[in-house]
Amino acid sequence: MYRSGGLAGRLVDMRNTSENPASGGGVVELVDVTRTYPDGAGVRALDGVTVAFGRGTFSAVMGPSGSGKSTLLHCAAGLDRPDSGRVTLAGREIGTLREPKLTEERRRRVGFVFQSYNLLDALSVWHNVLLPQRLAGVRPDKRWAREVIARVGLSGRENDRPGQLSGGQRQRVALARALAARPEVIFADEPTGALDLSTGREVLSLLREAVGSLGTAVVMVTHDPAAAAWADRVVFLADGRMVDELVDPTAEKVAERMMAVSVR
Amino acid sequence: MIRLALGTLRRHRGAYLGTFLAALLAVALLASGGLLLFSVLTAKPPADRFGAATAVVSGGREITLTITKEKKDKVKRKTKSERLTGAGTLPTDLAGRVAALPGVAAAVPDAAFPVLLAAGGRPVRGADDAPVIGHGWASAALTPFTLRAGAAPGRGEVVLDADLAARAAVQPGDPVQITTKTGVHTLRLSGVAAPAGRDGLPAQGALFLADAQVGEVSGLAGPTAVAVVAAPGADHSALLAGLRTEAGDAPVLTGDDKVRAELPGALPDYIGPISIFGFVIAITAFAAIFVLTGTVALGVRQRLRELALLRTAGATPGLLRRLLGVESVLVALLAAVPGCPIGVVVANLVAARFRELGAVPAQFTVQTNVGVLLAAVGAGVLVASVSARIAGRRAVRIAPTQALAETATAPGGGQIGRLLLAIPPAGGAIAVLTFVPMGGVLGMGMGFVSCALLLCAVAAAGPALVRPLTTGAAWLVGKAGVTGWLAGAVSRAEIRRVTAVAIPLMLMFAINATMLLNSALTTKLATEEQTLRTAPAAAQVTAPGGLPLGTVERIAALPGVTGTAATLPTRVVLNQGGKPEDHPAQGLFDAGAERALDLGVRRGALAGEGTFAASDDLADTRSWRVGDNVEMWLADGQHVTLRLAAIYERSRGFGELVLPAQLVAAHDPRGLAAMVALRGDDVTDRVRAALPALTVVPTIEAAPAGDAQNQQGAWELLVVISLGFTAIAVVNTFAIAAAARRREYADLRLAGATTGQIWRMATRESVIAVAVGLLLGCAVTAIVVGVFSTAQDGRFRLIVDAGTYLGMLGGVGLLGLLAGAVPTRLVLRRGSLPAIAEGR
Repeated sequence: MYRSGGLAGRLVDMRNTSENPASGGGVVELVDVTRTYPDGAGVRALDGVTVAFGRGTFSAVMGPSGSGKSTLLHCAAGLDRPDSGRVTLAGREIGTLREPKLTEERRRRVGFVFQSYNLLDALSVWHNVLLPQRLAGVRPDKRWAREVIARVGLSGRENDRPGQLSGGQRQRVALARALAARPEVIFADEPTGALDLSTGREVLSLLREAVGSLGTAVVMVTHDPAAAAWADRVVFLADGRMVDELVDPTAEKVAERMMAVSVR
Repeated sequence: MIRLALGTLRRHRGAYLGTFLAALLAVALLASGGLLLFSVLTAKPPADRFGAATAVVSGGREITLTITKEKKDKVKRKTKSERLTGAGTLPTDLAGRVAALPGVAAAVPDAAFPVLLAAGGRPVRGADDAPVIGHGWASAALTPFTLRAGAAPGRGEVVLDADLAARAAVQPGDPVQITTKTGVHTLRLSGVAAPAGRDGLPAQGALFLADAQVGEVSGLAGPTAVAVVAAPGADHSALLAGLRTEAGDAPVLTGDDKVRAELPGALPDYIGPISIFGFVIAITAFAAIFVLTGTVALGVRQRLRELALLRTAGATPGLLRRLLGVESVLVALLAAVPGCPIGVVVANLVAARFRELGAVPAQFTVQTNVGVLLAAVGAGVLVASVSARIAGRRAVRIAPTQALAETATAPGGGQIGRLLLAIPPAGGAIAVLTFVPMGGVLGMGMGFVSCALLLCAVAAAGPALVRPLTTGAAWLVGKAGVTGWLAGAVSRAEIRRVTAVAIPLMLMFAINATMLLNSALTTKLATEEQTLRTAPAAAQVTAPGGLPLGTVERIAALPGVTGTAATLPTRVVLNQGGKPEDHPAQGLFDAGAERALDLGVRRGALAGEGTFAASDDLADTRSWRVGDNVEMWLADGQHVTLRLAAIYERSRGFGELVLPAQLVAAHDPRGLAAMVALRGDDVTDRVRAALPALTVVPTIEAAPAGDAQNQQGAWELLVVISLGFTAIAVVNTFAIAAAARRREYADLRLAGATTGQIWRMATRESVIAVAVGLLLGCAVTAIVVGVFSTAQDGRFRLIVDAGTYLGMLGGVGLLGLLAGAVPTRLVLRRGSLPAIAEGR
């Protein structure tokens, strides 16, 4: 109900391209992952979750507040460490990796697009985009960086500081930064949470495009059924467990399932 | 408002810790400095030397000048006094005249004079190194001293107080030796006396001679005081009125004031400590206010986000300003709770150390005055709230619509305003450096004042000065890989943060380096001049406490001694435009064909009686020419007019005036030669053979004589206090700055930085900030030390003492790096990644 016909048509095209997931299964796999926070009276944020996200797929993770969806994302991305279970990223077990190996693994394979942009105010757009590669000690691919900046529609703003940009523009810088390093998977945590409707839609279509044209996997946490509808697959969490799954979602179906999950 | 403020305080306890700590330090230091100054200002000498007397007529103890100014119709009279180091005498017949007054039971003259006491060849001093003061036996009753053993002194005999007798380990019948300006006298101990319930008086060891012998031993022309004991039932006011008439100009003292009739040298001297503690409070107050202002401003800036949110919630700028003000008052009041007791403790510790150094009298105690404590708290609260309001002035102007978008950056600007603010202190510094003669006694103090003003100017200009330096330093550090590049970029973007940490570092370096270097320079120049002065002499003779002129004359007459010069340290009071001013001076005994001391006479020539010589600095400031007649007052208040015969240049560590030795010996209570310089072949052996009790050292081996020792110790303690305080301030500021960066570090982690990389970046940022702070500090130090040095001897110096300079650079730099590194490490360790989920 949010989508215009034209966009919907484009989406269908993209879905077609992603119906052939790359062989070899998940680029991110969680097996029986449990995570308990010591504070909060031992509440299990994740309780034996097993899930895989395939190459070149767009997945959404949904669930009511406190269902563990952000914890799932953090564990999958190696930002948090599970208490038990296995997490593999591109076939490599990361649950047992120590710093700084874990960071090195993450910056080689993972990009982040979070609600709060997480850009460095001190650096220009251009330097923000190149930062992960610089930190990794690799020679930045400047042509590619220029291209992704153009793709997210920020050509000419390279020398601006994040502080001079609007929220949507900042989120597009974050996306360009994630894409510039050619990651295998992009983790997005409420990427549209701070944006208005049309800006949010632009960001989602850019994520969709990355999946379609670059074969990047996207794992997105959201509470917005309309945003989740852009995904190929929606995973529903409640009380730290995977309770449902929906392939080829529409906003209506997602909203329906969410209702069901929430009243369980 | 208060409830709102209390609420935010409770919620952001951590954020206020820095302000709290700075306020605590400020209150503690202001309190301790204030207590010390208050205690020396109100310190009363123990009032019991004349405990048994009703009133005391005192000889002159100060020089008072009155100037009359006619302004339009009004006539203004200004009276200024300067204390004497000696004691004026009273007419010999005064006691007799006073005794005849109605109601007077007894009038007892007291002639007090300093004595060097020795027993068994060993010098003896009173408790806490107090001087030994000689009196006539009749005046023993004024305390009263009563005999514990033996008998009253007859001719050739002496009575010691019980404390002195114990220290000298002598019994009645034993010989003791006393040295006064009249010579060395060997006397027999006839008895031991003591005040009731004690072994002696505080601050003096008392020695009594037979009254008939006082005049010849002391060299005094009359009594230094006449004490009066009223007859039982006499009318005191009538008695005092009669006394005043009889005494004429001489003051009549009663009650606690009676003790002021005592010899000045026998009273605890609080003049030196007043200037020392004045300096302590000036430095600590300046540093405390400086640092507190900076810390409060930094704290406000780090809460911009919260202020912005309050703004969106409908708070007006005025409300926010008041909120910041009330908050800072609450924090400062809270800080005062531990601050005051800590201040009291610090004051006592400092006083104890100063007592050990001998920079304050042994009797000095710290009085815990509530008024001073309240004033310290008030000052702390005032500074905190004013600086919070000033810092908040721009911050609260955040427009509500911008509030959320611009959470991290305050409305910028005020660049021109800041520069305007920097002009008055900079102008003041230039004025002080240009117009105040830094070469004289004011030099050190003015050096500090100009340094403080320059620091204020730099702090006011702040980012405008820090930006170019940061750019330079960032460019250099940026050569060191990606973390260096990142550190440079972040530093350039966060000029205000760099400024906030660089300024306390600058303060720490500049204040302490200026004090250390200026004092090192003064000492160095004094030593150099001392060496030049004594260069002609083959040997130097000294004795503990000094030598009487008679002994000097004997040495001068020894065969083979071709030149003798003895110096008798004293003080002289000059009339400085109606204000009496105290100057260090020397009596010079000069005999023989060759000059044994080379004062570097520039004009005229040293002459004898009726003349004096002046240092070129003094002659310049007074515009004196050789041949001028100058009026002055000697140590005992004797008014003399002498003709200026010579102007000399080597005055450092010596004195500004040179007077005939006989004149000084007659009017200075001590009147002893501190040092005798000799020329001639084999003089060392000859003097040793003739006078074995004296210390004779070849000039080459002689340590530079100077009583600047305890002053130096006090100065070093001062530097330690100020170093300690500024160091805490630096660490505090760095910690505040680091603690607020958790979010930024989390963002970097998400961008793929390892903790190691963030750590290296933060370290390189510290390097940039420390370099900027040290550069500014070096610049301020260079200006002040350069001008000070030029004023001293015309040579421009920057470093003065390479060891001190490098030590300061290394020490301050290292402290800055550690202060930057440790809090960052803690922040990184405590949650480098989950912070992305919380903390926003």
